[in-house]
Amino acid sequence: MSADERNPAATPTPCEDTQGDGRWMSMHHRFLSDSKDKEPDVLFVGDFLVQLMHQFGVWRQLFSPLHALNFGVGCDATQHVLWRLTNGELDHISPKIVVLWVGTQNRGHTAEQICGGIMEIVQVVKNKLPHAHTLVLGLLPRGKSPNPLRERNAKVNQLVREAVAYLPHASFLNVDPGFVHSNGSISHQDMYDYLHLSPQAYQAVCEPLHAHLKSMLDKSAEN
Amino acid sequence: MSGDGDGFNPAAVAQPVEDVQGDGRWMSQHTRFVQECKDGEPDVLFVGDSMVQLMQQYEVWRELFSPLHALNFGIGGDNTCNVLWRLQNGELENIRPKIVVVWVGTNNHEHTAEQVAGGILSIAKLLTSRLPKAKVVVLGLLPRGERPNPLREKNATVNDFLRSWLPRLGQAQFLDVSGDFVHSDGTISAQVMFDFLHLTSTGYRAVAKPLSDLLLQILEETPEERRASLV
Ligand SMILES: [Ca+2]
Repeated sequence: MSADERNPAATPTPCEDTQGDGRWMSMHHRFLSDSKDKEPDVLFVGDFLVQLMHQFGVWRQLFSPLHALNFGVGCDATQHVLWRLTNGELDHISPKIVVLWVGTQNRGHTAEQICGGIMEIVQVVKNKLPHAHTLVLGLLPRGKSPNPLRERNAKVNQLVREAVAYLPHASFLNVDPGFVHSNGSISHQDMYDYLHLSPQAYQAVCEPLHAHLKSMLDKSAEN
Repeated sequence: MSGDGDGFNPAAVAQPVEDVQGDGRWMSQHTRFVQECKDGEPDVLFVGDSMVQLMQQYEVWRELFSPLHALNFGIGGDNTCNVLWRLQNGELENIRPKIVVVWVGTNNHEHTAEQVAGGILSIAKLLTSRLPKAKVVVLGLLPRGERPNPLREKNATVNDFLRSWLPRLGQAQFLDVSGDFVHSDGTISAQVMFDFLHLTSTGYRAVAKPLSDLLLQILEETPEERRASLV
């Protein structure tokens, strides 16, 4: 039996509506209807870090011109993104690039499990969109001071980097511009709650990301 | 329950957030706020949950509230118990704001509407006793969810309680900013609440204008001699 069968991070799971206002499913349905009348070249998928990017000037400035769609949802973990992508969010679009940024919210999972979840998402994208390339963004450090979740995220990055190395349809990009200072701390100017990014930090993350996407799109246009 | 504190209310019990994720972020934020009290002399203090916190990340904060010498003590996910704990544990030390804006309660998932309103009332009472010269402005809870749902009704009921209870505390007032968020067909648009809870910059504009008008009005009404005595 495969290890994935036992990996909760790689098992498609809808987010339970514990609060009772149905917001998660509302967002999923909005994405489904968005995907029917748009023809994105780039699709962003992930958690709050993806979702919040959409709210700031950086999105309109750098990614709207690339014909990008944003399917980020609050505190999604890999298993929630897996559920969304296997339940329609890829069925009506054919983006050239899928930007995937998820994993830091996987509560209680090991780095190996999270990597397994991310690689499962990469496989789902390959099955649904055989011509698309998945760009996996590295998880960022978090917490004001060094802590186990920073180490876990770094381990996830190392595992994912190795796992995509030999896949022609996927690659890994570290987008951390250096959020951890020499004394080990992260500034609230960059991460206002030591997890989510301020507009200035998005700028630092997104400018190199934009350049990377642009060159990928230019290359795919040449072929 | 009359909201005057008789009977046990779990939403009025001061409680820190447990660090279940293991990166200590909540306490790091609280510690930073306590430090900011030592460094700053705010005229306006905002305290609450992510609705308060996220406002600071948008242009509207720099435009309308920074010029009022405002500090932002919002923490995502906080409920009334968590805000009470923070205020009792250093976030009011060394500062004498003229106005405190309170916006919290939509995350009190384990509490009834009456308990939530009682928790908010406890916060207002704590503020008026600790800062006898300050005005307390309590923002009403917003509707949430794309379509009508029990949490919208609960938040509206919390607002009803606050509307009747708060005026009894002389220095406190209620400001309903829920105005135009729900369309005539009962839906809320992602253009104003991107996840049907948190506000877009357009959503914050709708909230910030009436709030900023009220704050300016209160600050202007603060007599010069009282301002001088506060310095
Ligand atoms: Ca590769």
